Amino acid sequence: MGRRRHRADRAGAAGALPEAIAALSRALPAGPSPETFRRAKFDRPEAAPALWQLLFSVLSQLRADSASASLSPEVQARWVKSALRSQGYPRLAQFPKDGSQGSRELLLALSWLLAGGALLERLLAQTCVRLGDEMPACECEALASPGRPAPRVEADSCAGRVDVRHLQWLMGKLRFRWRSLMASQQEQCALLGKIHSYTHGCHSDRSLGHLSITETELLRDPEYGRQLLQRLERENARLEAALEWRRREPVFWQWMDTVLGACPPEASQPAFVPGAQEHRADELALLAWELRALQEELRAAAEARRAAWAARVRGQGPDWDAAQRATQEAVAQELAALRQAWERGGGLAQPHGPHGPHRLVRSEAGLLAGPGLRAAEVIGALRSQEACLEVTLCQLQGRCRQELARLAGAAPGLIWIPPPGR
Amino acid sequence: MATAFLLPAGCSRRLVAELQNALEACAERQRQLERSLCISRRLLRAWEPAEIPALEPTSGPETNEETPSPACTPSPQDLMELEFLTQALEKAVRVRKGIFKPGEKDKASSLKSGSIATSANTASAAPQASKSKPPKGTRQTMVHSKGLPDRRLMAVGDRSCMGRGAQAAKTGPGPREQQTFPSVVPQAPEAFTLMEKGTLLRLPMAFRKAASQNSRLWAQLSTAQTSDSMDAAMTSKTQFLQKLQTRSGWPCSRISAPEMEAEMGSLWKACSLLRLRMGKELAADFTDWMQEYRCLLTLEGLQAIVGQCLHRLQELQTVVLEQQQGPWPEERLPRTSLPCGGGTGPTWNPQVLLYSSTHELQTLAALRLRVAMLDQQIHLEKVLMTELLPLMTTQEQLRLPRLALCRAVHSLLCEGGERFLTVLRDEPTD
Repeated sequence: MGRRRHRADRAGAAGALPEAIAALSRALPAGPSPETFRRAKFDRPEAAPALWQLLFSVLSQLRADSASASLSPEVQARWVKSALRSQGYPRLAQFPKDGSQGSRELLLALSWLLAGGALLERLLAQTCVRLGDEMPACECEALASPGRPAPRVEADSCAGRVDVRHLQWLMGKLRFRWRSLMASQQEQCALLGKIHSYTHGCHSDRSLGHLSITETELLRDPEYGRQLLQRLERENARLEAALEWRRREPVFWQWMDTVLGACPPEASQPAFVPGAQEHRADELALLAWELRALQEELRAAAEARRAAWAARVRGQGPDWDAAQRATQEAVAQELAALRQAWERGGGLAQPHGPHGPHRLVRSEAGLLAGPGLRAAEVIGALRSQEACLEVTLCQLQGRCRQELARLAGAAPGLIWIPPPGR
Repeated sequence: MATAFLLPAGCSRRLVAELQNALEACAERQRQLERSLCISRRLLRAWEPAEIPALEPTSGPETNEETPSPACTPSPQDLMELEFLTQALEKAVRVRKGIFKPGEKDKASSLKSGSIATSANTASAAPQASKSKPPKGTRQTMVHSKGLPDRRLMAVGDRSCMGRGAQAAKTGPGPREQQTFPSVVPQAPEAFTLMEKGTLLRLPMAFRKAASQNSRLWAQLSTAQTSDSMDAAMTSKTQFLQKLQTRSGWPCSRISAPEMEAEMGSLWKACSLLRLRMGKELAADFTDWMQEYRCLLTLEGLQAIVGQCLHRLQELQTVVLEQQQGPWPEERLPRTSLPCGGGTGPTWNPQVLLYSSTHELQTLAALRLRVAMLDQQIHLEKVLMTELLPLMTTQEQLRLPRLALCRAVHSLLCEGGERFLTVLRDEPTD
């Protein structure tokens, strides 16, 4: 049976390829025609502009930073290159320099993005119409420093030296921003609570019960409602295309093999991400310091206890041995669980806590006992995350204090008085 | 100024850029929040009919309405004045044309009472108006005579049919659901507030259909990800990636930038979790030997894990060192943000998060912000440490500018920039 299906696949492949690519194009933002893809296989220059445009829009949507489409083609090309580099794209050495050529390399880069992660799903999720009042149950998005397009960085490099007080001023400004953010957030929650309880029972979906802000707004403003409906329908079309692509993509990958085969073999330097290598080394050094300090503290604590223990438990009976073994097993299990907390799902993901965006639903006094995550659970997870982060911050600040105290000690004739409250 | 201290150019550049990134991230959050605050506030006010467009979608200024900018929203005062004006004109037209007929008299007075009361309390006008003929003629006259927007009255009818879905089964035009968004069934000039009549709202059919199709499609997309048919595609994709790498002279053992970030992130996380656990163990009181033994084993186990973490760290350091020796120019790159959930594909299929009270919602939101803020603070702390601490150690003598720097650095690094230490100079007496 396997053989028969195989043959059928082959026979259908010729016709299936354009259809697969067409589905891909419909699922992508502003995807080019199948013909463009075919020309790119033969590295034809006329296919390049469309593919540059596609790569640019895909990458800028992925990064969710507003790299403006009004950038000049050269800047766009540089931006694309730097974005690919930061994702670890291996063929940067062969990558075209400007926006007018190298369509095959562009096609390879696009396929690399498609093959690597759930590109389509991520793109769709990034731009999807959000109907509910959502609240991510985690803080995984790196708010600390969102991606910046390369041109912006270059502009920054013109800046000269600054006074240390400028940093203090910026830091103060940041604290102020957080405070006002906190206040606005509280107000928004209060308003949200009102809207939810006033529209109780309005939603056609019983499990949701009430309307969201977006849904209420579309009723207040029918013009907005019309636009929302259009966006929703467009998104549905893209989703259907993505599902079709899923069914058809094996043909595309077979074809991509032949595209890769058409490339002249080139022995070149691996263009590895240079990026913030230096800063990375710095951060690793910092991390090493932290881990060594922790190891030292643990060693001191454990050794003292081991010695006291050895003196105490001489000459215990055989049932003691059994109890000992049971304890060893229990501890091993506990530590394995602890370990999973940071190993599972990579570094940025929170292990225990729930993930991703959730639609907020008000359910007073357990009236709505349907399935769903409870706020109390999320609050618990966030609290433990908060504790964890506080420890890290204190640890880092403590290390700075030590270091600065050491330096202060080396300077006689000065008296250091730490600020109150610590 | 004696306290001025200029930082080296490279250091300045990086720190200012990082702080500005942080500020920008906050500002972006604030902007999003302001947008939804603006919409929510407007929703909770009486729904001013002027905000609701009439049949033609292209009518006048309310096409701006969907932009959330507060600037284009007419203020309540403006709307109130407009209402008075409209009513005065209406009355003027009626007086001039001498169309005070018995039937209309009621109407006029009810409108008048409506104009005196605030727009929220005109419910009494509703039944009367729905029985009598809609004042179409007057409206047209008004439009012709003054060219004023006639949205006021039309929209009133438009708005009141929002609740029709609920009442449709019982009354009037039949149980047919609305098929499209505009629906002009002039019923009652009656102000609408969410608080009083929010429960009468129903979503239009077309929208409900599209929304349920949308969630069905998203569900399909996320289930298809795990199905068997995906396996074939998965294998061919992996093969493609491998071929691409080998043909590019790319050693497969290398760690990519996002992987490196993830590894480092998980080691930081390990570090703080291990420390938390150690703190708990050291603080515990024992009532029996077994507990004491358990604590000892845990501490030793933690020690072993830290050892493994250090080992992994050294591997990463080697990789970074090799890469540093590469021929590539230094370039600052943004931190790559991994999609939430790590390895699993992020699909948009939101689940429900149930909250029981506004207070609980506020607690949740505040905690999320707090976690985000701590994340940012830790990131900035690391950056500040790597840039500022070396400056301090290379100092030859604590002269005055250095001293100012020292105070500033202490405040930034140890106190989050919130507090300062005092430095007293104990001058040697000659």
